[in-house]
Formats: sequence, structure tokens, C-alpha cells
Amino acid sequence: MPAATDGTVAVSSLSHTYGAESGEGTLALQDIDFSVAKGRFVSIVGPSGCGKSSLLMMLAGLRHPTSGEILCGGAPVKKPDPERIGVVFQEASLFPWLSARKNVEFPLSLRGVPQKVRTEKALHALELVGLKDFAERLPHELSGGMKQRVSIARGLVQDPQILMMDEPFAALDEQTRFSMGDELLRIWDETHKTILFVTHSLSEALYLSDEVLVMSARPGRIIDRIEVDLPRPRTFEVMSSPRFVELRERIWQQIRH
Amino acid sequence: MLRFRSIWFARLAIILAFFALWEIAPRVGLMNERLLPPLSDVIAALIGLLGSASFYPHLGTTLFQTLLAFLIAVPAGAILGILIAENRFASEVFKPLVFFIFSIPKSIFLPMFILAFGIGLTQKVAFGVFSTIFIVMMTAFAAIASVKEEHLRVARSYGASTMQVVLRVYLPSMTPVLLEAVRLAMIFNFTGILLAEMYASRRGLGNLIGTWGMSFQLDQLLAAIILISGLSIVFNETIRALELRLEHWRG
Ligand SMILES: Nc1ncnc2c1ncn2[C@@H]1O[C@H](COP(=O)(O)OP(=O)(O)OP(=O)(O)O)[C@@H](O)[C@H]1O
Ligand SMILES: [Mg+2]
Repeated sequence: MPAATDGTVAVSSLSHTYGAESGEGTLALQDIDFSVAKGRFVSIVGPSGCGKSSLLMMLAGLRHPTSGEILCGGAPVKKPDPERIGVVFQEASLFPWLSARKNVEFPLSLRGVPQKVRTEKALHALELVGLKDFAERLPHELSGGMKQRVSIARGLVQDPQILMMDEPFAALDEQTRFSMGDELLRIWDETHKTILFVTHSLSEALYLSDEVLVMSARPGRIIDRIEVDLPRPRTFEVMSSPRFVELRERIWQQIRH
Repeated sequence: MLRFRSIWFARLAIILAFFALWEIAPRVGLMNERLLPPLSDVIAALIGLLGSASFYPHLGTTLFQTLLAFLIAVPAGAILGILIAENRFASEVFKPLVFFIFSIPKSIFLPMFILAFGIGLTQKVAFGVFSTIFIVMMTAFAAIASVKEEHLRVARSYGASTMQVVLRVYLPSMTPVLLEAVRLAMIFNFTGILLAEMYASRRGLGNLIGTWGMSFQLDQLLAAIILISGLSIVFNETIRALELRLEHWRG
């Protein structure tokens, strides 16, 4: 089924209420509609608690929305499908008892891929994130940025068409954060993945993305979609360009209250 | 390195000073020799014990009972603790009860165990298990709590089955804390068995210690104390060394 491997994402009239069964629930997401074309880099920003993580969990099949439909590559998302969708979380959620390589191999080992193939793929993914030399290190021997790069390698190891990232760089310092951003853009450029990227940082969203989806405070709705028409490749200077500042201001106006 | 060496030097010095004092104090009359025989006498008694065939059935009985109680209490306590911790309702109901029971000194139940089970193997093992199982359950609660939500989420997002989640996430996450359970269990368990033997028994190290105490055979008594201390320390330190190696697993 070639459609399922294609990296488009389409969400239609998705709503979610937490605790709906027990009567008095919290409406977390309301009427979310958007679609992302294959190979695009799209960020989702919005105030804390607006439902960004919830949305991403649903897109990744980790949680079922109360209503609405999610299609990834034309096929509905019902449960986690790591060959279609790779996920990278905020905390460096590596298993501390496994080496970097074994962590990256984890998704493959769940499916009983032979050790030789696993190692090969894991090393390839680690090479992609520039950590091949650190393959046998344990997570506690790696810096925060390196750990996050290992998680990205883990998300990429099965070569999914879509990569979902929930504030992957939030725990890093500003400088590391932007160099990780550059790294991610390089990987994106090499692999042509569709990337959905949740972040708190407006600058990060604008710096990285083709498009930014702006969400309102709870209940989360999409209140703006911004085509980021800044030329690529982007460098640090782009952040002081008038267009960047203008777009940043536009988002800020919408989420400040 | 210098600090490391001086620490070891200080430790060794304290131990040597302690043994020297133990040897000299009774000899020069600083201590009553009947209450504290000199170290060399105790060591001679220890060598005598280890050389006498009649000692080994006692040692064997105690070790067998300890091992049996340990093999029952640790898995049973761990499984019960995990089942309770994993179920919201069971947690609410049973966790406080386990904490209450844990706080009661187990020794006061010893007479009841004798009434129920006599003074043979069953009673010793039952009391050993009873002394141990609550600390194992409590450690199992902590072990479950040490499993990180984000690790479970990662496993699920990569499509892990329930069995895979248990084996690949729960088990390794809990291993450091479960090792601690094993270590604490052995201390509680050994204590329980020895106490039960001292209180009422026909065999075992505890029985010997009780008899030697009452008949003022302090050199034999202290020899047994050295032996038991040695066994306990070796076991404890082995597990602790394993725990230290897994230190960073706790993340
Ligand atoms: N498992 C849950 N049960 C009940 N309510 C939840 C649950 N998870 C999230 N919520 C609620 O849903 C809303 C959205 O949460 P979510 O974590 O998706 O927000 P977020 O935009 O990712 O926030 P942040 O920017 O702080 O990460 C919040 O009000 C939160 O309290
Ligand atoms: Mg979030």
C-alpha cells in the first residue's frame, strides 16, 4: 500500500475531552483541522496547557481523540505505527541501562529484527545525527544535547516518513538548542521527512519551519497558520530580519493573552 | 588518590585498634576475662568450631532455613507488592496496611508462631518469611514507583506489547530497587531465623548462641558472632557492589 508510506498528515474536526466518561470532563482540543504536505516542516506553538502534547500523542496513535479523524499517508491512525511515524519526546527519554546504540536499536528489537541488521541500521542512524563514535556510551556519559540526538536517531531508525517531535530541545540551553535546530534541518534536508514539531519558542518555530500552526489557550484550537516565507538555508542572521520580527510579532499578539 | 588511600588507612587503623584492644583489655585485667575473652581465645574457639564435625549440622540447619524463607519471602513479597502497586484500588486499600504492619516489631509474634507451628523447621521458615515479606513488599512499591512514565510512553510509541513492556522496561527499571529488596530481605530474614532459634529450638546457630550465652561460654559465643557477622557482611556487600554498578540506571 504505497499511500501509507507517503508522508502527508491530515487532521479533520478533531476534538478531545479528558475524563469524558466521568461526566465532567475538560475540553482540551476543539475542532482541529489542518493538513501537512509530504516533506514539510511544520511547527505547532501555543500557550502552555493548550493541548500541543495531547495533539501530538493522538497523531502518533498513543491516544484516541474523542472525535475526529487523523490520516497519515492517507491511512487512519489507530495505534502507534513506528514504521510510519517516529516520535521524539521532550525529556531525553533514553533507557539508562542501554548504550546509545542499543537505545536506537530498541524499536527494531521489539519487532524481532535480526541483530546484524539492527546494528547496521542503528549505526547508520547514529551517523546521521553525528554520534557514531559514541555508539557504545551509556546515556549518563552523554551531554543533554547528545542524548536528544540519540532520541532523534531512535525516531529515525525505522525510516518513518513522518517524524513527530514534542519540544525535543526544551531542556537544552539556548545555544545548544539552536545548533540542534541546525542539525535537525540538515537531517531533514538529507532525509526529506515530514516533520511536526511542537515548541514553546516562537523563534525556534520560525527559524526551523515552512509553516507555523498557532493554537489558542484551552480549549486548544488552531487560530492561525503562518507560511514562513523566509529563504533557506537559514542562518542566525535571519532572526534579526524585518520579516522574521514581523512574523514573530504576529504570533506573539495572538497567544499573549 | 591520596584521599582514597588515607580513608582506607583510617578504616584499617580503626579495625586493628579495635582488635588490639579486644586482645589486650582482658589480658591486662581491664575487662573481666569471663565476660570478654581475648581475641586470640575467640579465634582459637572459632577454629575449633570449624574443625568439629558436630558444628556443621547446626550451621547447615540455619543456612537451610534462611535460604528457604528467603526463597519464599522475596518472590512472594515482590509479586504481591507489584500486584498491589499496579492496581489503583489495591494500592489504596493495602499500601497503608503494609506500612502499619511493617512498623510493628515482628519478634512479639514469635510465641504465636510456636503455638501454631511448633518449634521445628516450619515455624522457623514461617517466622522468617513473616519477618521479611513486608520489607520486600514495601521495596517492591518503591520499585514500581521508580518506573518512569516517559520510558513506558517510549515503549508504547514504538509498539511494544504488554509482555515486551514488562520485560524490557519494568524489569530493568526495577532491578536496582529489587536488588535493594534482596539485600534488606536477607538482613531481616537472617535476623528472624536466628531469633526464632534462640527463643526455642533444638538445632541451629541461634540455638548454639543461646545455649553458650546461658552457660557462660563466651569464647564460643563470640566465635559464632564473628562467623555470622562475616557471612552477613559478605552477602550484603556483594549485593551492594551490584547495586553500585547499576547506580546510573536510576537515571
Ligand atoms: N492524561 C490527562 N488527563 C486529564 N487531563 C489531561 C491529561 N493530559 C493533559 N491534560 C490536560 O489537557 C490540557 C492540555 O495538555 P497538554 O499536555 O496537551 O498541553 P501542552 O500544550 O502540551 O502544554 P505544555 O506546553 O505545558 O507542554 C491541559 O489542560 C492538561 O491539564
Ligand atoms: Mg506539552
